[in-house]
Parts: sequence; C-alpha cells; structure tokens
Amino acid sequence: MGMSVRARAAAIATFRFVMVRIMEMLARWVPSTPEMEVKVLFGEHIWEAAQAADALGHRAFELRSPLHFTLPAADGYQNVLDGLAGTSGTAERLRGFYDVLLPGLERHFRRYLEATDGLLDAPSVRVVEQILQRSTRMRDAYLALLREIPRLAEVDPAWHEEIARAEAAQLELIRVPPPGEASTPP
Amino acid sequence: MNAPNPDTIEVRGVVLRRDPAREPCFMVVSLDSEMHEWPGMSEQARRERLHRHMNNEIGGLEIAAQCPSDFPDAPWELRMELARQCWDETRHVRLLYRRLVELGGRKGEFPVSNFEWRVTGMLDSLAARLAVQNRTFEAGQMDIVGKVVDDWRAAGDERTAEMLEGILADEIQHVRFANTWLRRLAQDDPRVLMKIAAAIRLLATVTAALAPEPGELNAVGTPIGDPRERVPMVNVDDRRLAAFTEDEIREVLRQAGFRALLPRSESGPRA
Repeated sequence: MGMSVRARAAAIATFRFVMVRIMEMLARWVPSTPEMEVKVLFGEHIWEAAQAADALGHRAFELRSPLHFTLPAADGYQNVLDGLAGTSGTAERLRGFYDVLLPGLERHFRRYLEATDGLLDAPSVRVVEQILQRSTRMRDAYLALLREIPRLAEVDPAWHEEIARAEAAQLELIRVPPPGEASTPP
Repeated sequence: MNAPNPDTIEVRGVVLRRDPAREPCFMVVSLDSEMHEWPGMSEQARRERLHRHMNNEIGGLEIAAQCPSDFPDAPWELRMELARQCWDETRHVRLLYRRLVELGGRKGEFPVSNFEWRVTGMLDSLAARLAVQNRTFEAGQMDIVGKVVDDWRAAGDERTAEMLEGILADEIQHVRFANTWLRRLAQDDPRVLMKIAAAIRLLATVTAALAPEPGELNAVGTPIGDPRERVPMVNVDDRRLAAFTEDEIREVLRQAGFRALLPRSESGPRA
C-alpha cells in the first residue's frame, strides 16, 4: 500500500520547506564567511537548493496543491536547522551542512522513495532522485575543497558529535498534525 | 549620543554598509586613491585587473546572495533568478582566480574595494538593489568588459579575452532579468519608482563624496581622473540584449557625452 495523494503532497511540501530554508541559510552565510573558496562553494549550492525547491513546488501543484505549496517541517527538525543556521564558524558551517544535514536529509528522501508507489508517484520519485543527485554533487564539491584545504573543516569533535546526535534524533521530518489540524493542503 | 551602528561605516561623511567578511590576506580600501591600478597591459597590470575583477565578482555573489535572505517575500521566480546569479558569480570568481594564478598572481596580491556592497547594502528594498546593483553596476561592468576584451586580445592574451566574453554573456542575463522585474514591480506598485529614485540619489551622493581630487594619483602613482571623465564606451548591442529600451540607451549615451560609438551594426566592430 503506497501513500495517499494528500500524504505525498504533504511530504513534497515539507521537503520544499527544507530546501528553501537551506537556500536561505547558505545565502546568509556567503557574505559572513571569510574564505573565498567557501563563499564560492556556498554560492553554487544556493542554486542547487533553489532548483530542488522549485522542482518540489511544481510537483506539489501536480498533487492537487497550490503552486509551490510549502509546509513547515517538524519542530525538532526545524530546531536542528535553526541551530546550524546560527553557527558563525566556517568549519562548523561546512561540517554541519555537508557532513550532518545533507546526509540526514538524504536518509529522509530515501525513506520517502521506499514508502511511495514508484509507478503511481513516478514524477515525485524523479524529483527526489534528482535532489539526491544534487546532494551527492554538493558533497563531492565539499570533499574536493577539503582535499585542497583540509584545515577548513577542523572543528571541536564534541560540537560535531552533538549536532550529529541532534540531527539523527529527528526521525520524522514531516510534521504530525495535532488532532483536527489539516496536515495537507486546503 | 547614539551608539555607532555595527552594520555601517562612515567614509568621508557618508554612511555605508560594513564590508562583508574577507580573509586577512585581502587589504580592503575605501578610495580609488588607495588602489593599485596601472595603465596599460604590463604583467603586473594584467594581474591587478584580474584580481580587481575577481573581487567585484565576489561582491556580486555576496549582493545577490544577501537578497533572498533579506527579502524572503519576494516572488519565487525572482528569487530563482538571484539564486542562479549566485551560481554564475561563483563560476566567474573561479575562472578569474584560475587565470590569475596561471599568470603568477595570488589572492590578496593587490588592494580591493567593496564599493558596490557598501552602497547596495544600504538599500532597504529589493527593487532599489536591483536598480543599483544589476541595472547600474552590472550594466556598467557590461560596458567595460565589452571594451576590455579587445584590450586583452590586442595584448595577445586570447585565453583571457575568451573568458571575459563568456562572463559578459552571463552578465547580460543578470541585467536583463533586473530590467524585466523592475518594470513588472513598478507596474504592480508605482511607489517602487520612488524607492529606485532614492537609491539612485544615494549612489550619486556617495560617488560624489568619494570622488578623487583633480590631479590625484593612486597608491602606485597612476593618475585617477574624475570618474565622470572615465565613462567607458557604451556597449549598445549588449544593452539591447539586456532589455534596455532605445530611450534608455539614448539616455546612457547622452550621459556618456556621446563619446561612445554607435552600435556595431551601424559602425562595424567595436574599436
């Protein structure tokens, strides 16, 4: 048994929320990160996140929702996003985004692919697969940068462990609505 | 007495946005007199040109990136244009840095200025930023690059000339989407025009305040000249591609004192 149209629309709209937040976070980081090579990395990935959000927004429309319909992620996941967005060190930003947030997000996307009907929901599957490819490309670019300048990602191991634990604890990306609250588009 | 605003600085009496973050290897200056521009195409002059252009592209990236976070309610399609611009600017930075290194240069080799960031960062509407950054600064850059491509080629550096031509093609799109969106935003809300007018006034005020004195030299002894006397040839063909109207192009030509040549179609290749 796959997911209902409403449930799929809610998932796609939530993924869109996350990609927009990532786009905005990277955008804020560009002027406030000193290292030129890192600015350029974040700048390139603003566009990756924007394209992902755009594709999800169009897919939401196909699932009987408004164009670019967006639903906030679960509170716990938003806290992780907020915590990462508030970091100011280059190494924390790099490690937190590329080593923790993106792999975690890939996990949520893969869960969606496992849960949905690959034929019935093939357009969503294509969109999500393309986002997974984007994520791989982003992480490859980050790893290439680290090979060039390894010191960029030197962080306090305790900090890294803490954010990784906080992210891993977010088993649900999609908000579970309280009774009576619609979890799906109007 | 008011506490100083941590987000702004004051230069020659005008209040400007504080600089974005830069690595310590970069020396950031405020005035043309502090720059290290050389005339001609000596090896040092070439590296300085590339280095200066590279920092301008970093600034273009920073300004474009700041917009989606400062104006989250902007239309999604416009935010997409800005996100795409971010990617373009990152490619330009990489290209210019690669060429700089090939020519023996390095990051921080020469002083840099963040004039465009400092001005646009003071503007509180997206329309004003598009008008100043994309429609004015980037369009001006389009004029300059259209000319300097020929300088590089004449100096026998086809590789740099080709790179600049590629960058120019991207810049046309950045100016074009700004022109298109400014018209749309002004049509939807005529008050946008007042914001744009105020932004252009601010730019004029800052430019006048930071203008060099007559006969002033820069830090390496090159005469700076009045910026108003340094208006480059107007790149008419590319301004057309960038969605400037014929009236707007005529106005730019008028402001340039008609020292510009007529469009290529009427006058042959750019000199």
